Amino acid sequence: MTELLSKDDFRAALEDAIKGREAKNASFSLAWANGELSRDHFARWAENHYHYVGPFADYLGYIYANTPDHATDAKDFLLQNMYEEELSDVRHTDLLIRFAEACGTTRERVTDPRNMNAVTRGLQGWCYATAMREHFAVATAALVVGLESQVPAIYRKQYPPLLDKYGFSEEDTEFFDLHITSDEVHGERGYQIVLDYADTPELQQRCLDLVRAGAEMRFSYTKALYDTYVASDLGPAGTSKDADDADLLSLGTG
Amino acid sequence: MPTIRFLTSGCAVDFPDGDDVNMLRVAIRNECEVPYRCASGNCGTDRVLVVEGAENLSPPRKRERERLGALLDQGYRLCCQTYASGDVSVQWDPAQKALDDRWVDKALPAAANERLQRRWLSESDTAGAERAAEAD
Repeated sequence: MTELLSKDDFRAALEDAIKGREAKNASFSLAWANGELSRDHFARWAENHYHYVGPFADYLGYIYANTPDHATDAKDFLLQNMYEEELSDVRHTDLLIRFAEACGTTRERVTDPRNMNAVTRGLQGWCYATAMREHFAVATAALVVGLESQVPAIYRKQYPPLLDKYGFSEEDTEFFDLHITSDEVHGERGYQIVLDYADTPELQQRCLDLVRAGAEMRFSYTKALYDTYVASDLGPAGTSKDADDADLLSLGTG
Repeated sequence: MPTIRFLTSGCAVDFPDGDDVNMLRVAIRNECEVPYRCASGNCGTDRVLVVEGAENLSPPRKRERERLGALLDQGYRLCCQTYASGDVSVQWDPAQKALDDRWVDKALPAAANERLQRRWLSESDTAGAERAAEAD
């Protein structure tokens, strides 16, 4: 039976669980960073991304409901995170819709769930199921460590080209700039919750499994955006293909 | 290896050459006691005075410029909005609060409060509140 890992070793294992599965290396992300996408492609991205991140406060609400009263810091973190998504300033999904409108699509198209592809629907369903059914530390590991903590690395790569290569304004792209910084802190606090409350070998292993699964879900979601909306215009992942294939092999799906 | 020195708490954190790291994330991870609240550049609770190494910090972001205003010129930065890529030393007032009263005394900022009122209160409730405010 696996022994309880020290906090340092557990953190290293969590970080390792994401490696090779980072969505920043998926074909859509690479094409984005390389300046190869059009505003139409970004519009399709926004129409999908809304349905993944739009319910994030809902996911956190389910985790909150599963968190015991004594875990006050975890509950506070979840509430704070929900508040920032929805109320602290401009609603985060409104910032996403602002970007989507700059890409030529509409609020109605973005919020219409019929416009997401099947893989996005799968990612959204996985997030809901994980939040509802897993121990709160495991769900936090999956959604905050596995998914949310990746955001700064992804957007730090994708935000500069939006301004420099694609010609968007700072106003249009505030969604990205905001998440580069806010998700640094969300991710770090998420790590702390997981390190403190996943306090048995079984919980630690479950966290690692779910972090791996979450990272794979996000990678697959990002790759599917390329396959569904970009490949017909630019061809199968071209210059991005090497990295893409390498990562798929590491996932066992290549 | 570059070092961030959090002078007020006496905490010093090294990070690998070539990396750039979010100042607040480093402070939280290493329990360096920088006060913070929203972590989104809205409240300003995590402002720090840069004593050394300002040239090793990322350029101010939109929210930081808007939030700090003239304080930026006086050498302040928001930890949550700032990345360090080399040696830097910062200090702060351990008892400092948010820059705006709405973050100190009220649970919700004005825009959010208005949205909640629209969602939860009927028009007649809202009208009643407006009449009461006018009477005051």
